[in-house]
Amino acid sequence: MTFRHRVQTIYRKELIDILRDRRTLIAMIVVPIVLYPLLMLGSVQAVSYQHESLEEAALTIGVASPQHGFMLSQLISEDAKALKRKAEELDPASDEAKALPAPLDGAKIQLFRSVEQLQAAIRERSLPVGVVFEGDALVDAVDERVAAKVYADYEEPRGSTAGRRVQDVIARTNEHIRHARLESLGLNQNFIEPYVAESVDLSAPSSILGEVLPLILILMTITGAIYPAIDLTAGERERGTLESLMVCPVPIIDLIVGKFLVITTVAIVGAALNLSSVTATVYFGGFDEIIASTGGAIPIAKMLFILLALIPFAVLMSAIMIAVCSYARTFKEAQNYVTPVILAVLIPGGIAALPATRLEGVMLVMPVGNMVLLAKELLLGAMVPAWHIMIVLMSTTLYAGAAVAVAAKTFGHESVVFSDAASWKTAFSRALIRPALTPPMSLSLLVTAVWFPLWFYVQSALSPEPGETAVSLLRGTAWLMPLLFVILPVAMLVYWKIDLVNTFSLRAPSLRYVLAALLLGMSAWVPAHELNVLQHSVIGIPESFLRSAAQLVEAMRRLPPAAVIVILAVLPACCEELLFRGFLLSGLASALRKWPAILISAAFFAVFHFFLFKFVIAGTLGIVLGYLCWQSRSIIPAILTHAIHNTIGVATVLWPTWTRWLGMASDEAASTQITHLPAHVLLLGVGVFVAGLIIASKDARTRAAGVGALIKPVPFTG
Amino acid sequence: MSDKNRADTAFTRYNAPAMDMVVAENLVKAFPNPDWREKRAVDALSFSVGEGQIYGLLGPNGAGKTTTLRMLSGLIAPTSGAARLAGFDVATQPNEAKRVLGFLTANTGLYQRLSARELVVYFSQLHGLDRAAAVRRAEALIAQLGLAEFAQLRCGALSTGQKQRVNIARALVADPPILIMDEPTLGLDVLSNRLILDFIKAQRDAGKTIILSTHYLDEAESMCDNIGLLHDGRLVAEGTIEALREQTSEERLTSIFLKLIDAETHAGVSAA
Repeated sequence: MTFRHRVQTIYRKELIDILRDRRTLIAMIVVPIVLYPLLMLGSVQAVSYQHESLEEAALTIGVASPQHGFMLSQLISEDAKALKRKAEELDPASDEAKALPAPLDGAKIQLFRSVEQLQAAIRERSLPVGVVFEGDALVDAVDERVAAKVYADYEEPRGSTAGRRVQDVIARTNEHIRHARLESLGLNQNFIEPYVAESVDLSAPSSILGEVLPLILILMTITGAIYPAIDLTAGERERGTLESLMVCPVPIIDLIVGKFLVITTVAIVGAALNLSSVTATVYFGGFDEIIASTGGAIPIAKMLFILLALIPFAVLMSAIMIAVCSYARTFKEAQNYVTPVILAVLIPGGIAALPATRLEGVMLVMPVGNMVLLAKELLLGAMVPAWHIMIVLMSTTLYAGAAVAVAAKTFGHESVVFSDAASWKTAFSRALIRPALTPPMSLSLLVTAVWFPLWFYVQSALSPEPGETAVSLLRGTAWLMPLLFVILPVAMLVYWKIDLVNTFSLRAPSLRYVLAALLLGMSAWVPAHELNVLQHSVIGIPESFLRSAAQLVEAMRRLPPAAVIVILAVLPACCEELLFRGFLLSGLASALRKWPAILISAAFFAVFHFFLFKFVIAGTLGIVLGYLCWQSRSIIPAILTHAIHNTIGVATVLWPTWTRWLGMASDEAASTQITHLPAHVLLLGVGVFVAGLIIASKDARTRAAGVGALIKPVPFTG
Repeated sequence: MSDKNRADTAFTRYNAPAMDMVVAENLVKAFPNPDWREKRAVDALSFSVGEGQIYGLLGPNGAGKTTTLRMLSGLIAPTSGAARLAGFDVATQPNEAKRVLGFLTANTGLYQRLSARELVVYFSQLHGLDRAAAVRRAEALIAQLGLAEFAQLRCGALSTGQKQRVNIARALVADPPILIMDEPTLGLDVLSNRLILDFIKAQRDAGKTIILSTHYLDEAESMCDNIGLLHDGRLVAEGTIEALREQTSEERLTSIFLKLIDAETHAGVSAA
C-alpha cells in the first residue's frame, strides 16, 4: 500500500467515525443553521425595536420650576401642531411622511424642587431628560433670545435619544419662527443660507460586517476544528484504541496526515455552512436592507472569496489544534490546552480586525493575523497585490506544515501514548536522550518555520531608512544572522545529543566538488540574470521594490567595500548554508528521499527571501546548492558556491562599471529595463555552469559510512 | 538462553523450525523520576521464545511486564538493547516487525462508532490489504470466530464478551505468526475468560508463537511451555514449570513464585 492509499483509508474511516458522532453534527450543522438566523433575527429585531421605541416613547421631562414647565409645554404643543399640519399636507405613504419625527405632546412634565435635584435624578437614571430655561418667559420680541439647557445622560441610548428629541423641538421651533420672519420680510431661506453643503458617504459599504465578520468566521472555524481534533487524538487515547492503532504497520505520519485532513474537512465544511447561513439569513431574512442602512451589504461573490481565504486558515488551525491535542491524554486535558490556544489566536486576529490595521509589513507574516486581514481587505474591496496573497498563503502553509510535523512527533511519543509509562520529561531529560546522527524532521521544520517570521521582523527592522547608511543593517546582520541561523540550532543539537558533524556535513570534500563549486559559483549569475530577465518580462517589478533596492545600494556604497562583502555576501552564505543545507536538509533527509528533501529545503530557502521576485532565483539556487551538498556529502562546496555568487552580486552593485564588459546592466537607471546577456557571455556562462553540475553529479556517498553503529540510519543514503 | 546467532538471520517461515521468534536482548527501559534521576523499569532483560511456544511473563505489579511487552511490540523505544520479532529489529524495521505481530490486552478499546465488521475491515486495510481483500479477510474472520450475529452492530453496543471476540479478530487480521498479550484476561468474567483461554490454545495448536503476561498463576501453569519470572525489571528465574519446581522444590506455582521472589529480595538486601 502506498502513502496515498494508507492516508485514504485512514481519512475515510476517521470521517465516518466523526460524522457518526452526534456532537459533531450538532456543532457543525445544527448550530450554524439554526443559531445564526435566530441570533440575527433576535438581535437585529431587538436593536431596531429598541431604536423605534425610544424614538416614539412618551417622554418624561423634568423641570425645576412650574413656570419652566408651562414654557416647555407651550413649546411642545406649538411644535406638535406644526408637525401634525405637515403630516396632513404630505402623502402618508411617502418616505418624507415616514421620516417625520413623533410629536412630544404626550410627554409628561415632572416638577423638581431645584436644578440640583433634577440633575441628581438624571444621574440616577430615574429621569431621561430635563430642561432649565434662562429666565421665566418665552421669546416675545424680535431682539429677544432665551437659552435652554437640556440635561441628559448622553452616553446612554435612552438619555441621548430623549435629549435629542427635546433639542429637536427647540430647533424646529427656531426653524418655524425663522421661516415666518423671513416671509414677513418677503425673503426666503437663501437670504441667510446662500450655500448648502451635503456630505456624501463613500466609505466601504460593508464597514460593520466587514470588520466583525472575519473575526466571527475565524472563531467558527476554530470551533469547528476543536471537537474533531480532540476526538481524533486525545479521544483515541482515552478510549484505549490508540494502542491497537500503534501496533499496526503504519507510519505515524500517515495517521496524523489522515486525521489532519479529516479535521480540516470538518473545519472547512463548518466554516462554509456558517458563512452560507449568515449570507442566507442576511438575504432571505430581509436584513440586507437593515444592514445596508446601518452601513453595509455584502455581495454574494465576496462571500465566495472569503470562503477561499478561510481554507488556508482552516488548514492552519487544524494543524495547530492537532498538534496541541496530540499532547493531551484525555478529553479534559485537551480542552485545557485548547483554551489558551484560542486566546493566543484571537490576539493577532483581534489586532487584524481593528479598522486601522492594513495587510503590510509585519502583518504579512503574522500567523492568523494575516489571514484575518486578507479576508477583511477582500471584504472591504481593497486591491490586494498578488505577491501579498502569495506571502500570506506561503507563510500559512509553512506554519501548518510545521504544526503537522510536530503533531506527528507528539502523537506517537510514548510519554503521551501511555500515561502510566513515562512523562514529557523523557523528551527533555538529557540522561535519557539517545544520541542521534540527524535531527528529527519535526525539529528541523519547526525551528525553520518559527525562524521565518523572526527573520522577517529582523530584516524589516534593519533595512535602512532613506538617506541613512546601512550601518545598522551591517551590524545587525553580523550579530543576528549567526545567532539565529547557526548558534541557536547548534545549541539545540548539542542538547539533544545530535551529531553536529553529520548534521552540518562538516566533512572535507574531495577536490572534484571544490572544482564544481568554483565553476558553479562563478557562473551562477548567468542563469540567475537570464531568469531575472524572463521573470521581468512576465510579472514586472513594482516601483516601490526598485526604489527600496536603489536606496539599499545607495546606503551600501557609503560603507567600506570589504565590510560589505564580508558581512553581506560571505557571512550570509555561511549561515544560510548551515541552516538550509545543514540543519534543515539533514532533518528532512532523515525521513524523506533525496529529491523531496532537496526541493523542500529549497522552497524554505526561497520563502526566506521574502520577495516574490526573488523566489524563482533563490529557489533554483537552493536546488543547485542542495544537490551539491547532497552529492559531495559536505557543506563546504555549497558554502563556496554561495559565497562566490553573493560576492559577485554585491560587487556588481558596489562597482557597477566593471560589469559593463560582461554586458550586464551598468547602473540603476538601466536596471529597470534589464536585457539579455550578449550571446558569447551567455554561452560561456551556461557552459561553465553545466560543466559544474556534471562534475558534481558523481555521487560521493559510500555505502559503508562508518558510523552505522549508531541508531539512526545514516542520512544522505536516500 | 537460546542461540542468538540464529535469531540474527533473516526471517523465513519455513526453513528454521527451531528459530527464536521473539528475542529480547539486554532490554533496558529507564524513566525519569520526579527528581529527574532515572529509574529502570526494565533492566538488562534478555530472553527468547521459540516458534510455536507459549512463554509466560509473570511477576508482581510494577515488575516491568507491561513495559517489556510494549518494547517488544514497538510501542515504546528501549533506552538500550534490542528486540526482534521473527528476525526483524523492532527499532530499525518497525513496519516489518509489526506485520508479524498480533497484539491484545484486556483493556484494548474498540472504535465505538464503527460496526464490528467495519472495524475488522479497517484494521485489515491498515495491515496492507486492499479494500476487496480486506473485506474478504474480515468475512472469513467473522465466520471463523462466530461474530456474524452482531457484526453489523456498532462496537459501542456490544457486550464485554462480544467486544473481546472482536478484539481477537482485530489481532488476527494479518494472521500473524506471533501474538503478544498483556494480561489478556484481566478483569474479565468467567465466560469471557474461557473465550480468551480457548483462543490462546487454538492459536498454539495452529503453531503460533505466543508471549503473554498474567497475574493468574494457575492459568500460566496450565498453558505456558516456558515461564520467565520478572521482579524489579530483572529476570529472576526462567524455565519450564518442571525446572522451576526442581529448582525450588515446591509443587504449586504460587509457592515457587513467592519463594523465588523472597530469595531475590533477600539477595538484593544482602548485596546492598
